[in-house]
Amino acid sequence: MSVLTPVRLGPAEQTLIAQLQSAGAAAQAERLSGSGLPTRRVESYHYTDLKQLLRSVPPLAGAAPGASAPALEIAGAYRLMIANGRVQDAGTAPAGVIVGRSEGSVLTMRDDVLVRLNAALAGESLSLTLEGSVDPVIQIDRRSEGEAAHSAGSVRIFVADGASATIVETYSGSDAAHVSNHASYISLGKGARLSHIAVDLSSGQATHFATHEYQLAEDAKLHTLAIHAGASLARTQIFARFAGEGSHADFSGLNLVKDGQHLDITLDVNHAVPNTTSQERFKQIARGRSRAVFQGRLVVARHAQKTDAKMMMQGLMLSDEAEILSKPELEIYADDVVCGHGSTCGQIDETSLFYLMSRGIPRAEAETMLVRAFLEELVDPIEDAELNEALTAVIDGWLLGR
Amino acid sequence: MTTPVLEIRNLHARIEEREILKGVNLVIPAGEVHAIMGRNGSGKSTLSYVLAGKEDYEVTEGEILLNGENILEMEPDERAAAGLFLAFQYPIEIPGVATMTFLKAAINAQRKARGEAELSTPDFMRAVKEAGAQLQIDSDMLKRPLNVGFSGGEKKRAEILQMALLKPSLAVLDETDSGLDIDALQVVSKGVNALRDGQRSMLVITHYQRLLNHIVPDVVHVFSDGRIVESGDKDLALQLEAKGYAGFDGEAA
Ligand SMILES: Nc1ncnc2c1ncn2[C@@H]1O[C@H](COP(=O)(O)OP(=O)(O)O)[C@@H](O)[C@H]1O
Ligand SMILES: [Mg+2]
Repeated sequence: MSVLTPVRLGPAEQTLIAQLQSAGAAAQAERLSGSGLPTRRVESYHYTDLKQLLRSVPPLAGAAPGASAPALEIAGAYRLMIANGRVQDAGTAPAGVIVGRSEGSVLTMRDDVLVRLNAALAGESLSLTLEGSVDPVIQIDRRSEGEAAHSAGSVRIFVADGASATIVETYSGSDAAHVSNHASYISLGKGARLSHIAVDLSSGQATHFATHEYQLAEDAKLHTLAIHAGASLARTQIFARFAGEGSHADFSGLNLVKDGQHLDITLDVNHAVPNTTSQERFKQIARGRSRAVFQGRLVVARHAQKTDAKMMMQGLMLSDEAEILSKPELEIYADDVVCGHGSTCGQIDETSLFYLMSRGIPRAEAETMLVRAFLEELVDPIEDAELNEALTAVIDGWLLGR
Repeated sequence: MTTPVLEIRNLHARIEEREILKGVNLVIPAGEVHAIMGRNGSGKSTLSYVLAGKEDYEVTEGEILLNGENILEMEPDERAAAGLFLAFQYPIEIPGVATMTFLKAAINAQRKARGEAELSTPDFMRAVKEAGAQLQIDSDMLKRPLNVGFSGGEKKRAEILQMALLKPSLAVLDETDSGLDIDALQVVSKGVNALRDGQRSMLVITHYQRLLNHIVPDVVHVFSDGRIVESGDKDLALQLEAKGYAGFDGEAA
């Protein structure tokens, strides 16, 4: 972009620029001054115009003044915490889990404003190396505590060759207009297996940004589930790159959107080598006056023959004022591939509802049964019983308006 | 005089501006089984849906009394709790809803609506097992999502299982015989007959006389163009079979 027309900067941008300068990121500050936050004219932010949506940014976060209870209790999990972007001391790690911390964020090639802000502002990263078969679920409990604050936190995870693990990231905090920018850079070694689940339970005034970047080596198997069940504005960006043949990933996600919320999941999957497979399954449910966004892009490189990728997005509207937006995109440069995508959006099926009610089940309960049925295939693959139960409780909590 | 289980008075109903029911009158006393026979498109399923409270239909005139109580203003679930059960002509498949979860939710919702305590899980399991055995419904079928992948016959048996568990005072069976071979017809009929107890009433809707050899009705009604045009005993069904509907409603077959 060489366009030099000066952009008018809003208060959020001015605060961000000052914060970048105070963090010593002069080049980033200058870049943001030149371009401003992305508007709908930037393709990847088309439905989430940050310039419009991010009206102000609170001051940079100090150390957390003590934490509230975990937003999600998972029995038997090993819990690590990052509060206000700062890595907290952890208990003794279970076998196969090596916990460390490093200065700064993590270098990534991704050119994205949220990634750049995170890289410039995160002071340190939690680093995890997983070896062998890691038994307990690892929970990374990411908090924004105290008065409204802007924080950036970073996690780097390496799943060693042949290792297997389940990681759950939960995002929560005090009831304030936080802006939190979380990054997770995850690399799977040869034959590694990982289930990575991210659940946003931020308070209703908060802005939640998360970036998950995945890299898969040969024969690695990845399962992901990103759930938005909080915040006023949220965007989770999932960037994945298949770098080794024989690797497979199931990406899934869920936007649970209610009145006043704008929740966005943006996915960009790159099949860079031959013989890799992926399945993308994303669902959105919206009620009240709200907006749910899913953008999914599959890129298949020219020599990535035998790629098999299927992307499906399904929306369920529970009110007439809700908006569910889905944008699937395929960019295929190889010729011997099986790729497809589908997108549907509907309301609760009246015929099914009548059938259930005709058996004596009241409307609200029947609707809840049908919505649960709609979501079942997302939670079903979670094998850990405690985790499955915890996620089901998050969904039920949303359904029952808790 | 005891209150009939069902009393329909001059019922008119329409869907999308089109009148389908044109003055239905019907009284079913406690314990009686009445059959409704009529050609396709005469409005039999419409009558069953209007009874059960499907939203798409607008009742423009008339009344429906269930055990003396007007049910027209009730939601479908309230009608069910009041004792009405409809075995669907085409039972709905609902992926993602486990059959057992559904059965338990239905039983307990009705009990709750009537101010009764919930059924315990062991009692529930026992009830399902007993009712299922008689209808040749095995536990594999019950493990599947509701009606999903069930054959036509399995769906109809599953409807009767629900009826056996929910113990309605009025059961409306809409073409429960359609799509059944003779063996399945016998199983289903046996299940239905087992629920005839001198108190429970039934409205058996069918296109063919065949079913009525198995579920022998007390009264047969001929339905044509949205109303009952003739009523009689079970022999009426045989006449109908012999003469065809044209002999009753004057329309060409
Ligand atoms: N949704 C609908 N909109 C308009 N007409 C309908 C609708 N459903 C049924 N009908 C019409 O109502 C009439 C009665 O149908 P139905 O009650 O299913 O008859 P039966 O069960 O006796 O075969 C038919 O002419 C049918 O075409
Ligand atoms: Mg019919």
